[in-house]
Amino acid sequence: MALLDVRNLQVAYRNPSSDDQTMAVDGVSFAVERGETLGIVGESGCGKSTLARALMAYCRPGGEIVGGEVLFDGTDIFGLKDEQIRALRGSRMAMVPQDPLTSLTYHMKVGPQVDEILRIHQELDAKGARLHTLKLFAGTNLPEPEKIYHRYPHENSGGQRQRVVIAGALACEPDLLILDEPTTALDTTTEMQVLKLVKELRDRMGTALIYITHDLTLTDYMCENVLVMLNGKVVERGQSSSVFSAPQTDYGKALVAAIPRVDAKIATPAQPNKAKDGAPLLKVEHLSFRYPSRWSVSALFNPVEEPLAVDDVSFELPRGETLGLVGESGSGKSTIANIIVGLSAPTSGAITFDGAALGATDRHRSPELKRRIQIIFQDPLSSLNPRRRIESILTRPQEIFFGVTGKAARDRAVELLEDMELSADLLKRFPRQLSGGQQQRVAIARAFAASPDLILCDEITSALDVSVQAHVLRLLRGIQIKTGAACLFISHDLGVVKQVAGETVVLRKGRAVEAGHTSGVFDNPSHDYTRLLLAAALRQENYADLVEQASRTEIVGNEP
Amino acid sequence: MLVNDKPLLSIVTHSPATTIGVTLVTLHLLNAIFAPLLIPYGSTQLAGMPLIAPGHPDFLLGTDVIGRDFLSRLMMGGRTSITVAMIGVMGAVIIGTFFAVSAAHFGGYYDDVVMRIVDTKLSIPGILFVALFVVGFGRSVTVLTIVVGLSYFPGAVRTIRAQALTQVPLAYVKAARLRGESALSVIIRELTPNVIEVVVVEFAIRTSSAILIVSALSFLGLGISPPTADWGLMVSEGVNQIYEAPWLILLPAVFISTLVVGLNFASDGIANALGLDAARGLGGH
Repeated sequence: MALLDVRNLQVAYRNPSSDDQTMAVDGVSFAVERGETLGIVGESGCGKSTLARALMAYCRPGGEIVGGEVLFDGTDIFGLKDEQIRALRGSRMAMVPQDPLTSLTYHMKVGPQVDEILRIHQELDAKGARLHTLKLFAGTNLPEPEKIYHRYPHENSGGQRQRVVIAGALACEPDLLILDEPTTALDTTTEMQVLKLVKELRDRMGTALIYITHDLTLTDYMCENVLVMLNGKVVERGQSSSVFSAPQTDYGKALVAAIPRVDAKIATPAQPNKAKDGAPLLKVEHLSFRYPSRWSVSALFNPVEEPLAVDDVSFELPRGETLGLVGESGSGKSTIANIIVGLSAPTSGAITFDGAALGATDRHRSPELKRRIQIIFQDPLSSLNPRRRIESILTRPQEIFFGVTGKAARDRAVELLEDMELSADLLKRFPRQLSGGQQQRVAIARAFAASPDLILCDEITSALDVSVQAHVLRLLRGIQIKTGAACLFISHDLGVVKQVAGETVVLRKGRAVEAGHTSGVFDNPSHDYTRLLLAAALRQENYADLVEQASRTEIVGNEP
Repeated sequence: MLVNDKPLLSIVTHSPATTIGVTLVTLHLLNAIFAPLLIPYGSTQLAGMPLIAPGHPDFLLGTDVIGRDFLSRLMMGGRTSITVAMIGVMGAVIIGTFFAVSAAHFGGYYDDVVMRIVDTKLSIPGILFVALFVVGFGRSVTVLTIVVGLSYFPGAVRTIRAQALTQVPLAYVKAARLRGESALSVIIRELTPNVIEVVVVEFAIRTSSAILIVSALSFLGLGISPPTADWGLMVSEGVNQIYEAPWLILLPAVFISTLVVGLNFASDGIANALGLDAARGLGGH
C-alpha cells in the first residue's frame, strides 16, 4: 500500500466579489511510496502550493477542499478530527515552506523553536529536547550547533535558516516530508548544498518526499517521478528523467524549452549593432564602492571600515552590445548598476560614458545624460507606481525628456506597448491589475520611452516564471536591436546570461574574478568560482566536491 | 464605485459594526446639515416655560433651564463641534501629510528636525496644551479650530511618515528620481497617492477624538461659548439639574457618544476592509 494516496483531490477558492468558486486544484490523483521522491512542477498560479497544503488538510483563508480524498497510511485525513490532524502534522508528515525567514518566529531563538516541536510531539523534557535539537542541527550540517541554537532567525544566513527549518521538519522523523520551493529564496550554491542535504537525509531515514518547485532541472536532479501541473490539473506525469529529456505534451515541451541552459550548445548571441569605431560606450575603470559606516559612539573611538562592496572592477561595454554581469547575491552586481545609473556615488574609480566622465550621482548629471542611461529593476511591481495608470507611467518620461505630451505621447506609448506585444487596452489599467510578466514588459517599455543608449537590466527576470522569462528576454532583445541600445545585463542565472550576453564578467564578493567572451568563460572557466557556479547551474553530482575544494581554498567563505 | 478594487458597498458593510458605524455617522451628518430646516424653534429662542418634561405636545423633548426647546438645541448642538473638529483635523492631516512624506523622502537632518518637533509636542499633555492655548489666545471658534489642528498634527505626521517610509525605498521612487523629477514632484506626484488610505483613516479616527475634546472643552467652559447650542455646553448647563431633569445631560451625552462610537466603528471597519489593519502601517493587498 502506498504511503500517500491522493484521489481526485479538488480545492477551490471563493471569489470575494461574487459567490462562485475558482478551482485551484482540479481533480489531482497520485500516489507516493515510502522512500520515494515525487516532484511537482508548475509555474506560479498552477495550484502546486495549494495542493501541498491540502495534503496536510490545510487551506489558506478563502480556500476549501471540495472533493476527493487523501489517504495517508490508509486513513482519509479529511475524515480526522482536528486534534488527530494536529497530532499527524509535524510528527508523521512535515512541511518545509518557501521562505525560511517568515516561517521562523522572529523573536525566538532558533533552537527553542525546534525544541518546541519535540516537546509537543515526543513529550521530551527541556534538557532532552535541547540535546536532540543539537543532534538535529549537527545532522543538517549546521556549523557549530551550540552557537546556532542561541541565535535569532535574522542572525543566520538564508541557507542556515532553511537548514534550521529542515531540522525542525525532520525532528520527529516523519514518514512524509513536503518541500514547497525550499530553495527558491536561496543562492544557487547554497541551494545545491541544501538539496544535497535533503537527498542524504532521505537516503538515511527512508522518508518519502514531495518536492514542489517551478524548476524542472531541480526535479531532474532530486526526484524519481514528476507531475507537471497547469491550472490545477496534472498535464504530464512520468519518470523525471524522461519528462525532462523527452516531454510528451505541448506544455511540457514548452516548459523544458523555456529553461535557459548553461550547457546548451548555442552560439554566442550575435551582437547586431556592433559599432565600427573602437571607442566603447561605457568604460568602467577600477571602480570601488564602500558603504558609509554607520554613526555610533563606539565607532568614534574604534573606527571600523566597512568592507568594500565593489572592489576594483573594470570593464568596457561597446555600443549596441550586451555585457553580462554574473554573481550571487552580495557579489556587488546591483551596486555597480546603482553607481552607473547615479543612485550612489563610487568610492573611487572612473566611469566614462560616450567619451566623457560621468558625474558621481544623478545630481551631477544633465537631463540629457539621465535620458541616455536607463535602468530596469528586478521587481516589476515595485518599480511601477501603484497609483498611476500605465498611460501615465509611459507618457511621463516622454514629457520630462522630450516635452512630448497629449496625443503624441499617447501614440508613442501605444507603439511601445506594441513593441512589447501588449495591447493598448492596458493603458487604462493600474500596475496591480497586470501579471508579473506584463508589469516587467511595461517597465521595459518605460525605459525605452526615453530612447536610451544604455540600458541596465538588474535581475529583470528573476521574479518571473521560465516561460514568461523566455518571452520577456526575446522582447527585450527585439527592442534592443530596433533601437541599437547597449545593455548591461545583470543576473545570477548563468543560463540566461549565456543567452543574451556577448561578453561576461563574473563577480565574487565585489571583485571581477573572470571576464571575457561568454562562450569562453562558460566553456573553459579559468577560475574555481566560475566552475562552482557552473556546476551548481548544471546540478552536477560532483558539485559537493567542488564546494569542499572551494572552501579549502576559501572561495566560499563561511557565511555569518 | 470601486475603492482599492472593492465595491464601496462591500466596504461599508464589511462587518455588522461597520454597518452600524456608517449608519450612525450618516444620520448624524444628515441631521447636522439639515437641522436648521427641520427644527421647530430657534436653538437660542426662549420658547416656553423652563424645565418642561419630555413628552409635552409642543416640546417633544421638553425645555431646558431657561425655556429653550431642547429638541432644537440637541439637533443643532453638533454643528459647531463637528465643524471645528473636522476642519481642525483636516488641516492637521493635510499639512501633516506634506511634512510626513517630505521627512520620509529627504531623511537626514530635515527628518530629525521635523520628528523632534513632533516628539516635543507629543510630550505635552493634550488637554493641558489645549487649555493653556485657549486661555492664552481667547475663546473663539477660530482659536478652537487651530488648537485642534495643532493637537492632531504630530500624531498625523508620525502615522503617515511610517507609511511613507515603506514606499520611499521602492524602485518606482528611484525611477522617478532618475528621470529627473523634482523633489516636490516626487513627494506630491509619486509618494502622496500611495499614503492616501492612511491619511483618510487618520482623518476619520482623529475626528472622533477631536469631537470628544471639543465637547470636553465646552463642558469645562473653555470651548464654544453660550448661548450657542453645543452638546458639551449643554451637559455642563444641565449638571445642576441632574436630579430634577436628568435628560438634560443624558440626551446630549447620548448624541456625543453615538457620533463618536459611530465614527470609530466606521473608520476601524473601513480600514480593515481596505487591508489597513491594526497598525495601519502597511498597505496590504
